[in-house]
Amino acid sequence: MTAVITAVNLSKWYGNVLGLNDVSLDIESGITGFLGPNGAGKSTFMKLITGQMKPNIGTVTVRGRKVWNNPALFRGIGFCPEQDAFYEDMTGFEFIAGLLRFYDYPPAEIRERAARALDIVELVKDKDRLIRGYSRGMRQRVKFAQAIAHDPEILILDEPLSGLDPLGKRKLIRLIRDFRNQGRTVLVSSHVLPEIEALTSRVVLIHQGKILAQGDVPYIRELIEAHPHMISVRSSDPRALAARFVGDRAIQKMTFAPDGRTLVVETHKRDEFYGRLTGAVLEAGLEVEEITSPDDNLQAVFEYLVGK
Amino acid sequence: MSMKRAVREVFGFFFSIGRRTGKTRVFALLALIPFALAVVGRIFLHGRTGDMAAVFTEILMVFFLQFYIVILSLFYGTSVTAEEVEGRTLSYLITRPIPKPAIVLGKYSAYTLLMTLMVAVSLALSYFVLNASRLAQPSLYLTFLRYLGVLVLGILAYTAFFAFLGAFLKKAIIVGLIFGFGWENVIQYFPGSTQNFSLVHYLKSLLPYRPAGMGSGGRGVALLLFRLEPTPPLVAVLMLAAIAGAFLALACWVFRTKEYLYEE
Repeated sequence: MTAVITAVNLSKWYGNVLGLNDVSLDIESGITGFLGPNGAGKSTFMKLITGQMKPNIGTVTVRGRKVWNNPALFRGIGFCPEQDAFYEDMTGFEFIAGLLRFYDYPPAEIRERAARALDIVELVKDKDRLIRGYSRGMRQRVKFAQAIAHDPEILILDEPLSGLDPLGKRKLIRLIRDFRNQGRTVLVSSHVLPEIEALTSRVVLIHQGKILAQGDVPYIRELIEAHPHMISVRSSDPRALAARFVGDRAIQKMTFAPDGRTLVVETHKRDEFYGRLTGAVLEAGLEVEEITSPDDNLQAVFEYLVGK
Repeated sequence: MSMKRAVREVFGFFFSIGRRTGKTRVFALLALIPFALAVVGRIFLHGRTGDMAAVFTEILMVFFLQFYIVILSLFYGTSVTAEEVEGRTLSYLITRPIPKPAIVLGKYSAYTLLMTLMVAVSLALSYFVLNASRLAQPSLYLTFLRYLGVLVLGILAYTAFFAFLGAFLKKAIIVGLIFGFGWENVIQYFPGSTQNFSLVHYLKSLLPYRPAGMGSGGRGVALLLFRLEPTPPLVAVLMLAAIAGAFLALACWVFRTKEYLYEE
Protein backbone atom coordinates (compact mmCIF):
# COMPACT_ATOMS: atom_id res chain seq x y z
CA MET A 1 0.00 0.00 0.00
CA THR A 2 1.28 3.51 -0.81
CA ALA A 3 2.09 5.78 2.10
CA VAL A 4 -0.07 8.88 2.41
CA ILE A 5 2.15 10.61 4.96
CA THR A 6 5.88 9.98 5.02
CA ALA A 7 8.33 11.14 7.66
CA VAL A 8 12.03 10.54 7.13
CA ASN A 9 14.52 11.01 9.96
CA LEU A 10 12.31 13.68 11.40
CA SER A 11 13.73 15.60 14.36
CA LYS A 12 12.45 18.66 16.10
CA TRP A 13 13.69 20.41 19.19
CA TYR A 14 12.62 23.42 21.21
CA GLY A 15 15.78 25.08 22.42
CA ASN A 16 17.48 22.34 24.39
CA VAL A 17 14.37 20.19 24.65
CA LEU A 18 14.01 17.39 22.17
CA GLY A 19 10.46 17.19 20.83
CA LEU A 20 10.94 14.50 18.22
CA ASN A 21 14.00 12.37 17.65
CA ASP A 22 14.83 10.78 14.30
CA VAL A 23 11.35 9.57 13.48
CA SER A 24 10.84 7.69 10.23
CA LEU A 25 7.34 6.57 9.52
CA ASP A 26 4.95 5.73 6.69
CA ILE A 27 1.28 6.28 7.34
CA GLU A 28 -1.14 4.54 5.02
CA SER A 29 -4.84 5.07 4.49
CA GLY A 30 -7.17 3.90 7.23
CA ILE A 31 -6.86 4.84 10.88
CA THR A 32 -3.48 5.02 12.57
CA GLY A 33 -3.41 5.58 16.31
CA PHE A 34 -0.62 7.57 17.89
CA LEU A 35 -0.26 6.46 21.46
CA GLY A 36 1.95 8.03 24.08
CA PRO A 37 1.90 9.83 27.40
CA ASN A 38 1.64 13.61 27.61
CA GLY A 39 4.78 15.25 26.27
CA ALA A 40 5.76 12.19 24.25
CA GLY A 41 5.94 14.09 20.96
CA LYS A 42 2.51 13.27 19.50
CA SER A 43 1.47 16.90 19.10
CA THR A 44 4.88 17.85 17.74
CA PHE A 45 4.54 15.19 15.06
CA MET A 46 1.03 16.38 14.21
CA LYS A 47 2.17 19.98 13.98
CA LEU A 48 4.97 18.96 11.65
CA ILE A 49 2.68 17.06 9.31
CA THR A 50 0.19 19.94 9.27
CA GLY A 51 2.84 22.53 8.46
CA GLN A 52 2.55 24.41 11.71
CA MET A 53 6.19 23.71 12.40
CA LYS A 54 9.16 22.93 10.23
CA PRO A 55 11.53 20.10 11.08
CA ASN A 56 15.06 20.82 12.25
CA ILE A 57 16.25 17.67 10.54
CA GLY A 58 14.50 15.33 8.13
CA THR A 59 11.53 15.68 5.85
CA VAL A 60 7.82 15.22 6.03
CA THR A 61 5.63 14.86 2.97
CA VAL A 62 1.95 14.30 2.33
CA ARG A 63 1.26 12.44 -0.91
CA GLY A 64 4.86 13.18 -1.83
CA ARG A 65 4.50 16.94 -1.44
CA LYS A 66 6.31 19.00 1.17
CA VAL A 67 4.10 20.43 3.89
CA TRP A 68 5.76 23.60 5.18
CA ASN A 69 4.39 26.71 3.41
CA ASN A 70 2.38 24.67 0.93
CA PRO A 71 -1.16 25.98 1.44
CA ALA A 72 -2.63 24.15 -1.57
CA LEU A 73 -2.07 20.89 0.30
CA PHE A 74 -4.52 21.87 3.02
CA ARG A 75 -7.50 21.61 0.71
CA GLY A 76 -7.33 17.89 1.41
CA ILE A 77 -6.34 17.94 5.09
CA GLY A 78 -8.58 18.45 8.10
CA PHE A 79 -6.92 19.18 11.42
CA CYS A 80 -8.48 19.07 14.85
CA PRO A 81 -6.05 20.64 17.34
CA GLU A 82 -5.59 19.48 20.89
CA GLN A 83 -5.96 22.85 22.53
CA ASP A 84 -9.37 24.02 23.69
CA ALA A 85 -9.12 27.32 21.82
CA PHE A 86 -11.75 29.14 19.78
CA TYR A 87 -12.92 32.51 18.59
CA GLU A 88 -15.19 32.64 21.59
CA ASP A 89 -17.42 35.48 20.37
CA MET A 90 -18.58 33.53 17.34
CA THR A 91 -21.47 31.12 17.22
CA GLY A 92 -20.81 27.51 16.26
CA PHE A 93 -22.24 28.13 12.80
CA GLU A 94 -20.25 31.32 12.24
CA PHE A 95 -17.07 29.55 13.29
CA ILE A 96 -17.50 26.69 10.83
CA ALA A 97 -18.84 28.85 8.02
CA GLY A 98 -16.13 31.45 8.64
CA LEU A 99 -13.36 28.89 8.23
CA LEU A 100 -15.06 27.44 5.13
CA ARG A 101 -14.64 30.82 3.47
CA PHE A 102 -11.00 29.89 2.92
CA TYR A 103 -11.87 27.14 0.40
CA ASP A 104 -13.26 29.00 -2.62
CA TYR A 105 -16.80 27.73 -2.04
CA PRO A 106 -19.73 29.93 -3.07
CA PRO A 107 -21.75 31.33 -0.12
CA ALA A 108 -24.62 28.87 -0.53
CA GLU A 109 -22.25 25.92 -0.40
CA ILE A 110 -20.51 27.35 2.66
CA ARG A 111 -23.83 27.51 4.50
CA GLU A 112 -24.75 24.03 3.34
CA ARG A 113 -21.41 22.50 4.37
CA ALA A 114 -21.41 24.25 7.74
CA ALA A 115 -24.94 23.03 8.44
CA ARG A 116 -24.00 19.49 7.40
CA ALA A 117 -20.87 19.41 9.58
CA LEU A 118 -22.84 20.67 12.57
CA ASP A 119 -25.51 18.10 11.86
CA ILE A 120 -22.92 15.31 11.84
CA VAL A 121 -21.67 16.30 15.31
CA GLU A 122 -25.25 16.88 16.52
CA LEU A 123 -24.86 20.58 17.19
CA VAL A 124 -27.59 21.89 14.90
CA LYS A 125 -29.75 22.88 17.86
CA ASP A 126 -26.94 24.94 19.36
CA LYS A 127 -25.49 26.34 16.14
CA ASP A 128 -26.53 29.91 16.92
CA ARG A 129 -25.16 29.97 20.45
CA LEU A 130 -21.83 31.63 21.18
CA ILE A 131 -18.99 29.14 21.50
CA ARG A 132 -18.05 30.66 24.87
CA GLY A 133 -21.31 29.20 26.19
CA TYR A 134 -20.62 25.67 24.92
CA SER A 135 -19.87 22.77 27.27
CA ARG A 136 -16.53 20.99 26.99
CA GLY A 137 -18.10 18.20 24.97
CA MET A 138 -19.75 20.64 22.57
CA ARG A 139 -16.50 22.51 22.12
CA GLN A 140 -14.75 19.26 21.30
CA ARG A 141 -17.45 18.42 18.76
CA VAL A 142 -17.40 21.82 17.04
CA LYS A 143 -13.63 21.47 16.80
CA PHE A 144 -14.14 18.15 15.04
CA ALA A 145 -16.79 19.69 12.79
CA GLN A 146 -14.39 22.37 11.51
CA ALA A 147 -11.94 19.61 10.60
CA ILE A 148 -14.41 17.64 8.48
CA ALA A 149 -16.54 20.46 7.03
CA HIS A 150 -14.51 20.67 3.81
CA ASP A 151 -14.59 16.91 3.32
CA PRO A 152 -10.85 16.31 3.56
CA GLU A 153 -9.11 13.21 2.33
CA ILE A 154 -6.79 13.17 5.35
CA LEU A 155 -7.99 13.82 8.87
CA ILE A 156 -5.51 14.57 11.63
CA LEU A 157 -6.98 14.53 15.13
CA ASP A 158 -4.92 15.51 18.16
CA GLU A 159 -6.49 14.02 21.32
CA PRO A 160 -10.03 14.35 19.90
CA LEU A 161 -11.66 12.29 22.64
CA SER A 162 -10.28 14.15 25.62
CA GLY A 163 -12.95 15.90 27.66
CA LEU A 164 -15.82 13.92 26.16
CA ASP A 165 -18.22 11.90 28.27
CA PRO A 166 -18.52 8.16 27.45
CA LEU A 167 -21.52 8.72 25.19
CA GLY A 168 -19.78 11.58 23.40
CA LYS A 169 -16.70 9.42 22.96
CA ARG A 170 -18.73 6.62 21.47
CA LYS A 171 -20.39 8.95 18.98
CA LEU A 172 -17.13 10.51 17.91
CA ILE A 173 -15.48 7.12 17.57
CA ARG A 174 -18.34 6.10 15.27
CA LEU A 175 -17.85 9.24 13.19
CA ILE A 176 -14.12 8.65 12.84
CA ARG A 177 -14.77 5.05 11.79
CA ASP A 178 -17.29 6.23 9.20
CA PHE A 179 -14.59 8.45 7.85
CA ARG A 180 -12.20 5.51 7.60
CA ASN A 181 -14.88 3.44 5.90
CA GLN A 182 -14.98 6.00 3.13
CA GLY A 183 -11.38 5.03 2.29
CA ARG A 184 -9.77 8.05 3.84
CA THR A 185 -6.74 8.46 6.05
CA VAL A 186 -7.09 9.27 9.72
CA LEU A 187 -4.28 9.91 12.15
CA VAL A 188 -5.48 10.12 15.72
CA SER A 189 -3.50 10.66 18.90
CA SER A 190 -4.32 9.72 22.47
CA HIS A 191 -2.64 8.80 25.72
CA VAL A 192 -5.36 6.28 26.54
CA LEU A 193 -4.97 2.81 25.00
CA PRO A 194 -8.66 1.81 25.13
CA GLU A 195 -9.54 4.94 23.13
CA ILE A 196 -7.10 4.02 20.39
CA GLU A 197 -8.15 0.40 20.62
CA ALA A 198 -11.74 1.41 19.97
CA LEU A 199 -10.68 3.17 16.79
CA THR A 200 -8.03 1.06 15.16
CA SER A 201 -5.77 -1.92 15.45
CA ARG A 202 -2.84 -0.03 13.91
CA VAL A 203 -0.88 1.68 16.65
CA VAL A 204 2.34 3.66 16.85
CA LEU A 205 3.82 3.91 20.34
CA ILE A 206 5.72 7.13 20.93
CA HIS A 207 7.65 8.18 23.98
CA GLN A 208 10.19 10.93 24.63
CA GLY A 209 10.14 11.87 20.98
CA LYS A 210 10.95 8.39 19.72
CA ILE A 211 8.89 5.69 18.09
CA LEU A 212 9.13 2.79 20.52
CA ALA A 213 7.00 0.29 18.72
CA GLN A 214 4.57 -0.06 15.84
CA GLY A 215 2.06 -2.76 15.37
CA ASP A 216 -1.45 -3.90 16.03
CA VAL A 217 -3.22 -3.62 19.35
CA PRO A 218 -2.72 -7.27 20.42
CA TYR A 219 1.03 -6.73 20.08
CA ILE A 220 0.85 -3.60 22.24
CA ARG A 221 -1.30 -5.47 24.74
CA GLU A 222 1.31 -8.21 24.86
CA LEU A 223 3.93 -5.66 25.73
CA ILE A 224 1.74 -4.35 28.49
CA GLU A 225 0.98 -7.83 29.81
CA ALA A 226 4.68 -8.64 29.92
CA HIS A 227 5.18 -5.79 32.31
CA PRO A 228 4.26 -6.32 35.99
CA HIS A 229 1.34 -4.18 37.10
CA MET A 230 1.44 -2.21 40.30
CA ILE A 231 -1.74 -2.09 42.33
CA SER A 232 -2.11 -0.08 45.55
CA VAL A 233 -4.73 -1.10 48.09
CA ARG A 234 -5.37 1.21 51.05
CA SER A 235 -7.20 -0.58 53.79
CA SER A 236 -7.79 -0.67 57.55
CA ASP A 237 -5.24 -3.49 58.04
CA PRO A 238 -2.77 -3.84 55.14
CA ARG A 239 -0.69 -6.45 57.00
CA ALA A 240 -3.66 -8.77 57.42
CA LEU A 241 -4.40 -8.32 53.73
CA ALA A 242 -0.78 -9.06 52.80
CA ALA A 243 -0.90 -12.23 54.90
CA ARG A 244 -3.74 -13.50 52.71
CA PHE A 245 -1.54 -13.22 49.59
CA VAL A 246 1.66 -14.73 50.89
CA GLY A 247 2.58 -17.57 48.55
CA ASP A 248 0.08 -16.52 45.88
CA ARG A 249 1.59 -17.29 42.47
CA ALA A 250 -0.14 -14.32 40.84
CA ILE A 251 1.94 -11.98 42.96
CA GLN A 252 5.55 -11.13 42.34
CA LYS A 253 6.23 -8.66 45.08
CA MET A 254 4.46 -6.92 47.96
CA THR A 255 5.57 -3.78 49.79
CA PHE A 256 4.01 -1.34 52.23
CA ALA A 257 3.76 2.32 51.33
CA PRO A 258 5.25 4.86 53.77
CA ASP A 259 1.76 5.83 55.02
CA GLY A 260 1.55 2.39 56.66
CA ARG A 261 -1.98 1.83 55.36
CA THR A 262 -1.31 0.96 51.76
CA LEU A 263 -0.23 -2.38 50.38
CA VAL A 264 1.53 -2.15 47.00
CA VAL A 265 1.35 -5.31 44.93
CA GLU A 266 3.26 -6.14 41.75
CA THR A 267 1.62 -8.75 39.56
CA HIS A 268 1.71 -10.13 36.03
CA LYS A 269 -1.84 -11.39 36.39
CA ARG A 270 -3.86 -8.35 37.17
CA ASP A 271 -7.28 -9.88 36.57
CA GLU A 272 -6.48 -12.90 38.74
CA PHE A 273 -5.31 -10.66 41.54
CA TYR A 274 -8.45 -8.52 41.42
CA GLY A 275 -10.54 -11.69 41.54
CA ARG A 276 -8.79 -12.92 44.67
CA LEU A 277 -8.66 -9.51 46.31
CA THR A 278 -12.44 -9.41 46.69
CA GLY A 279 -12.46 -12.76 48.44
CA ALA A 280 -9.52 -11.88 50.68
CA VAL A 281 -11.12 -8.62 51.79
CA LEU A 282 -14.40 -10.35 52.60
CA GLU A 283 -12.74 -13.21 54.47
CA ALA A 284 -10.57 -10.92 56.59
CA GLY A 285 -13.46 -8.51 57.19
CA LEU A 286 -11.34 -5.57 56.07
CA GLU A 287 -12.44 -2.11 55.11
CA VAL A 288 -10.92 -1.06 51.79
CA GLU A 289 -10.61 2.71 51.31
CA GLU A 290 -9.05 2.88 47.89
CA ILE A 291 -7.67 0.72 45.10
CA THR A 292 -5.47 2.43 42.53
CA SER A 293 -3.38 1.11 39.70
CA PRO A 294 -0.65 3.45 38.55
CA ASP A 295 -0.19 1.15 35.57
CA ASP A 296 -3.58 2.07 34.18
CA ASN A 297 -1.83 4.88 32.41
CA LEU A 298 0.76 3.96 29.85
CA GLN A 299 3.66 5.65 31.53
CA ALA A 300 4.86 2.47 33.22
CA VAL A 301 4.72 0.52 29.96
CA PHE A 302 6.72 3.17 28.19
CA GLU A 303 9.28 3.25 30.97
CA TYR A 304 9.46 -0.50 30.73
CA LEU A 305 9.98 -0.38 26.97
CA VAL A 306 12.58 2.34 27.24
CA GLY A 307 14.36 0.37 29.94
CA LYS A 308 14.22 -2.67 27.76
CA MET B 1 -7.22 30.27 -3.73
CA SER B 2 -5.77 33.45 -5.18
CA MET B 3 -3.99 35.86 -2.86
CA LYS B 4 -6.55 38.59 -3.54
CA ARG B 5 -9.50 36.34 -2.75
CA ALA B 6 -7.77 34.96 0.33
CA VAL B 7 -7.12 38.47 1.67
CA ARG B 8 -10.77 39.34 1.08
CA GLU B 9 -12.02 36.26 2.91
CA VAL B 10 -9.67 36.78 5.85
CA PHE B 11 -10.78 40.41 5.94
CA GLY B 12 -14.44 39.37 6.12
CA PHE B 13 -13.78 36.79 8.82
CA PHE B 14 -11.87 39.15 11.09
CA PHE B 15 -13.98 42.22 10.46
CA SER B 16 -16.91 40.15 11.67
CA ILE B 17 -15.03 38.96 14.78
CA GLY B 18 -13.35 42.31 15.41
CA ARG B 19 -16.62 44.23 15.67
CA ARG B 20 -17.77 42.39 18.76
CA THR B 21 -14.67 41.83 20.82
CA GLY B 22 -14.28 43.39 24.26
CA LYS B 23 -11.27 45.30 22.95
CA THR B 24 -13.39 47.04 20.31
CA ARG B 25 -16.03 47.93 22.88
CA VAL B 26 -13.42 49.48 25.19
CA PHE B 27 -11.84 51.49 22.39
CA ALA B 28 -15.23 52.59 21.09
CA LEU B 29 -16.03 53.90 24.58
CA LEU B 30 -12.69 55.68 24.66
CA ALA B 31 -13.70 57.40 21.42
CA LEU B 32 -16.45 59.20 23.34
CA ILE B 33 -13.89 61.22 25.33
CA PRO B 34 -13.29 63.87 22.63
CA PHE B 35 -17.03 64.12 22.07
CA ALA B 36 -17.55 64.76 25.78
CA LEU B 37 -14.74 67.34 25.77
CA ALA B 38 -16.27 69.00 22.72
CA VAL B 39 -19.67 69.23 24.41
CA VAL B 40 -18.08 70.75 27.53
CA GLY B 41 -16.09 73.17 25.34
CA ARG B 42 -19.21 74.14 23.46
CA ILE B 43 -21.09 74.92 26.68
CA PHE B 44 -18.34 76.99 28.29
CA LEU B 45 -16.99 78.72 25.19
CA HIS B 46 -20.34 79.51 23.62
CA GLY B 47 -19.90 82.13 20.89
CA ARG B 48 -16.08 82.26 21.06
CA THR B 49 -15.24 80.65 17.73
CA GLY B 50 -11.47 81.15 18.00
CA ASP B 51 -11.31 79.50 21.42
CA MET B 52 -13.37 76.57 20.19
CA ALA B 53 -10.99 76.09 17.26
CA ALA B 54 -8.13 76.03 19.76
CA VAL B 55 -9.94 73.41 21.84
CA PHE B 56 -10.40 71.25 18.78
CA THR B 57 -6.75 71.62 17.84
CA GLU B 58 -5.80 70.42 21.32
CA ILE B 59 -8.17 67.48 21.03
CA LEU B 60 -6.71 66.60 17.66
CA MET B 61 -3.10 66.91 18.72
CA VAL B 62 -3.21 65.49 22.21
CA PHE B 63 -6.00 62.95 22.02
CA PHE B 64 -6.20 61.73 18.42
CA LEU B 65 -2.69 62.13 17.07
CA GLN B 66 -0.56 61.40 20.10
CA PHE B 67 -2.80 58.99 21.98
CA TYR B 68 -5.83 57.45 20.32
CA ILE B 69 -4.49 56.35 16.96
CA VAL B 70 -1.25 55.21 18.58
CA ILE B 71 -2.94 53.07 21.24
CA LEU B 72 -5.49 51.72 18.76
CA SER B 73 -2.80 50.80 16.25
CA LEU B 74 -0.63 49.31 18.96
CA PHE B 75 -3.31 46.96 20.24
CA TYR B 76 -4.85 46.03 16.90
CA GLY B 77 -1.55 45.97 15.00
CA THR B 78 0.32 43.68 17.40
CA SER B 79 -2.75 41.46 17.67
CA VAL B 80 -2.71 40.65 13.94
CA THR B 81 -0.47 37.70 14.79
CA ALA B 82 0.01 37.82 18.56
CA GLU B 83 -3.64 37.23 19.45
CA GLU B 84 -3.68 34.08 17.32
CA VAL B 85 -0.64 32.75 19.15
CA GLU B 86 -1.79 33.81 22.62
CA GLY B 87 -5.33 32.57 21.96
CA ARG B 88 -3.94 29.36 20.37
CA THR B 89 -6.23 29.82 17.36
CA LEU B 90 -3.41 30.08 14.83
CA SER B 91 -3.78 26.37 14.02
CA TYR B 92 -7.23 27.04 12.52
CA LEU B 93 -5.79 29.58 10.08
CA ILE B 94 -2.49 28.14 8.97
CA THR B 95 -3.97 24.73 8.19
CA ARG B 96 -6.20 26.27 5.49
CA PRO B 97 -5.42 26.52 1.78
CA ILE B 98 -4.56 30.20 1.94
CA PRO B 99 -1.12 31.81 1.73
CA LYS B 100 0.16 32.94 5.13
CA PRO B 101 0.69 36.57 4.03
CA ALA B 102 -3.03 36.71 3.20
CA ILE B 103 -3.75 36.21 6.90
CA VAL B 104 -1.61 39.21 7.82
CA LEU B 105 -2.97 41.39 5.01
CA GLY B 106 -6.60 40.39 5.60
CA LYS B 107 -6.45 40.96 9.34
CA TYR B 108 -4.54 44.21 8.85
CA SER B 109 -7.23 45.45 6.45
CA ALA B 110 -10.07 44.40 8.74
CA TYR B 111 -8.55 46.03 11.80
CA THR B 112 -7.54 49.25 10.03
CA LEU B 113 -11.09 49.61 8.74
CA LEU B 114 -12.47 49.06 12.24
CA MET B 115 -10.09 51.66 13.67
CA THR B 116 -10.88 54.10 10.88
CA LEU B 117 -14.59 53.81 11.63
CA MET B 118 -14.04 54.44 15.34
CA VAL B 119 -11.76 57.39 14.68
CA ALA B 120 -14.04 58.85 11.98
CA VAL B 121 -17.12 58.78 14.21
CA SER B 122 -15.26 60.24 17.18
CA LEU B 123 -13.57 62.92 15.08
CA ALA B 124 -16.81 63.89 13.34
CA LEU B 125 -18.72 64.20 16.60
CA SER B 126 -16.12 66.38 18.32
CA TYR B 127 -15.36 68.46 15.22
CA PHE B 128 -18.94 69.27 14.28
CA VAL B 129 -20.03 69.90 17.85
CA LEU B 130 -17.30 72.51 18.25
CA ASN B 131 -18.00 73.99 14.82
CA ALA B 132 -21.79 73.79 14.92
CA SER B 133 -22.13 77.50 14.19
CA ARG B 134 -20.22 77.16 10.90
CA LEU B 135 -21.97 74.14 9.42
CA ALA B 136 -22.98 76.07 6.31
CA GLN B 137 -19.35 76.71 5.30
CA PRO B 138 -18.07 74.17 2.72
CA SER B 139 -14.46 74.70 3.85
CA LEU B 140 -15.41 73.17 7.20
CA TYR B 141 -16.02 69.80 5.53
CA LEU B 142 -12.83 69.95 3.49
CA THR B 143 -10.85 70.60 6.65
CA PHE B 144 -12.59 67.71 8.36
CA LEU B 145 -11.70 65.40 5.50
CA ARG B 146 -8.09 66.51 5.67
CA TYR B 147 -7.93 65.85 9.42
CA LEU B 148 -9.51 62.46 8.88
CA GLY B 149 -7.10 61.69 6.03
CA VAL B 150 -4.13 62.46 8.29
CA LEU B 151 -5.47 60.21 11.03
CA VAL B 152 -6.18 57.37 8.58
CA LEU B 153 -2.65 57.63 7.21
CA GLY B 154 -1.43 57.49 10.79
CA ILE B 155 -3.49 54.37 11.46
CA LEU B 156 -2.17 52.68 8.31
CA ALA B 157 1.48 53.43 9.10
CA TYR B 158 1.39 52.75 12.84
CA THR B 159 -0.62 49.53 12.42
CA ALA B 160 1.79 48.22 9.80
CA PHE B 161 4.72 48.94 12.09
CA PHE B 162 3.03 47.32 15.09
CA ALA B 163 1.92 44.35 12.99
CA PHE B 164 5.56 43.80 12.15
CA LEU B 165 6.52 44.06 15.84
CA GLY B 166 3.75 41.60 16.74
CA ALA B 167 4.92 39.10 14.15
CA PHE B 168 8.56 39.45 15.10
CA LEU B 169 8.63 39.84 18.88
CA LYS B 170 7.04 38.00 21.78
CA LYS B 171 6.54 41.08 23.98
CA ALA B 172 5.61 43.42 21.17
CA ILE B 173 3.23 45.49 23.31
CA ILE B 174 6.02 46.66 25.62
CA VAL B 175 8.29 47.61 22.74
CA GLY B 176 5.32 49.25 21.03
CA LEU B 177 4.48 51.31 24.12
CA ILE B 178 8.07 52.51 24.36
CA PHE B 179 8.03 53.42 20.68
CA GLY B 180 4.57 54.98 20.59
CA PHE B 181 4.66 56.98 23.79
CA GLY B 182 8.40 57.33 24.32
CA TRP B 183 10.30 57.68 21.10
CA GLU B 184 7.50 59.34 19.15
CA ASN B 185 7.07 62.03 21.82
CA VAL B 186 10.66 62.67 22.74
CA ILE B 187 11.93 62.97 19.19
CA GLN B 188 9.61 65.87 18.49
CA TYR B 189 11.74 68.04 20.73
CA PHE B 190 14.83 67.39 18.67
CA PRO B 191 15.67 69.93 15.99
CA GLY B 192 16.69 69.21 12.43
CA SER B 193 16.30 66.00 10.52
CA THR B 194 16.14 63.79 13.64
CA GLN B 195 12.38 64.33 13.64
CA ASN B 196 12.17 62.49 10.34
CA PHE B 197 12.71 59.25 12.25
CA SER B 198 9.24 59.43 13.75
CA LEU B 199 5.85 58.79 12.19
CA VAL B 200 4.18 61.62 14.05
CA HIS B 201 6.46 64.11 12.32
CA TYR B 202 4.98 63.27 8.92
CA LEU B 203 1.47 63.33 10.30
CA LYS B 204 1.94 66.77 11.82
CA SER B 205 3.48 67.99 8.58
CA LEU B 206 0.13 67.27 6.90
CA LEU B 207 -2.08 69.22 9.27
CA PRO B 208 -3.75 72.23 7.66
CA TYR B 209 -3.58 74.30 10.84
CA ARG B 210 -0.71 74.01 13.21
CA PRO B 211 -1.15 74.89 16.85
CA ALA B 212 0.77 77.71 18.49
CA GLY B 213 4.42 76.86 18.96
CA MET B 214 4.54 74.53 15.99
CA GLY B 215 5.68 77.03 13.40
CA SER B 216 8.69 76.26 11.31
CA GLY B 217 10.25 79.61 11.98
CA GLY B 218 10.79 79.09 15.70
CA ARG B 219 13.89 80.80 16.93
CA GLY B 220 14.78 78.62 19.91
CA VAL B 221 16.45 75.28 19.63
CA ALA B 222 16.36 74.53 23.35
CA LEU B 223 15.86 70.85 24.02
CA LEU B 224 12.43 71.09 25.60
CA LEU B 225 11.05 73.64 23.18
CA PHE B 226 8.60 71.91 20.86
CA ARG B 227 9.55 72.65 17.31
CA LEU B 228 8.30 71.27 14.01
CA GLU B 229 10.29 71.56 10.82
CA PRO B 230 7.63 70.21 8.46
CA THR B 231 8.25 67.98 5.51
CA PRO B 232 6.42 69.00 2.31
CA PRO B 233 2.95 67.37 2.26
CA LEU B 234 3.53 65.19 -0.79
CA VAL B 235 6.79 63.86 0.63
CA ALA B 236 5.07 63.26 3.98
CA VAL B 237 2.29 61.24 2.34
CA LEU B 238 4.78 59.24 0.30
CA MET B 239 6.91 58.56 3.36
CA LEU B 240 3.90 57.35 5.38
CA ALA B 241 2.77 55.14 2.51
CA ALA B 242 6.29 53.75 2.09
CA ILE B 243 6.60 53.06 5.83
CA ALA B 244 3.22 51.32 5.88
CA GLY B 245 4.08 49.25 2.80
CA ALA B 246 7.56 48.32 3.99
CA PHE B 247 6.52 47.22 7.46
CA LEU B 248 3.51 45.35 6.14
CA ALA B 249 5.74 43.48 3.70
CA LEU B 250 8.16 42.72 6.54
CA ALA B 251 5.29 41.49 8.74
CA CYS B 252 4.15 39.15 5.95
CA TRP B 253 7.65 37.85 5.42
CA VAL B 254 8.23 37.22 9.13
CA PHE B 255 4.86 35.51 9.49
CA ARG B 256 5.55 33.28 6.51
CA THR B 257 8.97 32.17 7.67
CA LYS B 258 8.65 32.12 11.46
CA GLU B 259 7.37 29.22 13.52
CA TYR B 260 4.99 30.18 16.30
CA LEU B 261 4.89 28.06 19.42
CA TYR B 262 2.12 28.19 21.98
CA GLU B 263 3.13 28.85 25.58
CA GLU B 264 2.73 25.72 27.68
